[in-house]
Amino acid sequence: MRPGDAIARARPRVIAALAAQLRDLELCEDAFAEAAESYLAKSVTAERPEAWLFTAAKRKALDAMRRNSAQAKIAQDAALVSDMADIIKLPEAIPDERLRLIFICCHPAIALEARTALALKVICGLPVAEIARVFVTSEPAMFQRITRAKSKIKQAGIAFELPHRRLWAERLEAVLLTLELAYTVAYQDAAAERDNGLSQEVERLATMLVELLPHEPEALGLAAMVVLARSREDARVDGEGTMVPLSEQDTALWDMRAIERARAWLDQAAFLGASGPYQVMAAIQLTHARRAYDGSADWGAIVRLYDALMAMRPGPVIALNRAMALAKTSGAEAGFAALEKVDADRLENLRPYHAARARLLAELGRADEARGAYEAALSLDPPSAERLFLERRLAELT
Amino acid sequence: MQYMLLINEDESIYEGEEGAKRMEATLAGHMALAQAWTEKGISFSGERLKPGNTATTIKWDGGNHALHDGPFAETHEELGGFYIIDVDTLDEAIEWAKQIPVPGKGAVEVRPVWPMEG
Repeated sequence: MRPGDAIARARPRVIAALAAQLRDLELCEDAFAEAAESYLAKSVTAERPEAWLFTAAKRKALDAMRRNSAQAKIAQDAALVSDMADIIKLPEAIPDERLRLIFICCHPAIALEARTALALKVICGLPVAEIARVFVTSEPAMFQRITRAKSKIKQAGIAFELPHRRLWAERLEAVLLTLELAYTVAYQDAAAERDNGLSQEVERLATMLVELLPHEPEALGLAAMVVLARSREDARVDGEGTMVPLSEQDTALWDMRAIERARAWLDQAAFLGASGPYQVMAAIQLTHARRAYDGSADWGAIVRLYDALMAMRPGPVIALNRAMALAKTSGAEAGFAALEKVDADRLENLRPYHAARARLLAELGRADEARGAYEAALSLDPPSAERLFLERRLAELT
Repeated sequence: MQYMLLINEDESIYEGEEGAKRMEATLAGHMALAQAWTEKGISFSGERLKPGNTATTIKWDGGNHALHDGPFAETHEELGGFYIIDVDTLDEAIEWAKQIPVPGKGAVEVRPVWPMEG
């Protein structure tokens, strides 16, 4: 593993473990950044980068706290837990800390729009620019929002403990949204070259959430959705590194055990009798997965599921996906008409929108316009697997 | 950590005969809360304030001031009282704040008190 990857992988666990002891997110992030710099600067690679980074970051954080008299008392307490003991109990102690930290970031005393952003920054280590893109806002505005949230956690004395079970419900929505957005970011690249283990991390957290809340249908739905999307990881890129769209993937490459696991979770959710958007999204993924058994996908069912999703959580991206499914059942013309009705202003910066338009325009024989749409998608900085795919489609236009 | 719980309420619901009964129930709620804090060993203080129409506000603007007859905030919900409680976390403070009786429209603001040192 390259040192940069090791750092990215260790980040969420180490930050979570540090924050649990030191109760200051800003400080923990700064200390981790410093520790990462030292890690990159030294010549030998540590056998367990996570433990090395934790110890180094904690030492740096404690030094910083001692310089600040107000925090000296906490620093003293934290220092009592010796570094050696921290290393020994590291692997088991940490997984819980991450989920705990998500629950803390998703505290209802923090403004709704800041909760998820904060969690994405602190736990998933997403750069602020990326988070700003997900929320369709500017980087400085997002930076300010996150800084304000961190400061409130520190100043207002928000507890650094996993809240009592009866308080989980009011935080769950933001927790689920955090995992969904983290996954969206991780999943947008077929070859996972920008991913840094994020999708694996999201799967782990979503699974942990299901273990924690086995009777929460939407937690089951989210976990099923994530696992289903990941079940296709090996089929998303061909031998030349080009992205393969879902409907053209070789189902022999899908992970059938993962699909079965997701199906069981969705069954469990259905028994609980409260539907919700994550269950519907998972059901859409499961309908796609059925191609591995039936040989063809039931696009009519997919359109109906998108209709249900639009009723629960209307949004331009869902409308876009619905239009593409409609093109499969009712023809490219109907699909294109539905796509043209979607608010294009909100989709202008999204590659899938231009790629979808291009696809339908090509099917309708409007090659010049299709070419323009492919070029628009290519101008939005696609990862290499998607770029190769778009270029191939562009070359196929006649 | 100390938290101030600022109670803002629509005073009009305590008017009239019905209102007097409501006030009795509200006061009983406050008594119960004070008792719960005492039993749990949570140190607290607090006061009930006279109605907003008894307030006088000194308004400052760049070194100049003017007296204003009435409360600072021009809202239907007036600051009617406050507590300061000493608990470990915001969550505990919120849990207690939720138990403050507010029979009509209103809001309870929970604010950490600036600590003496630091």
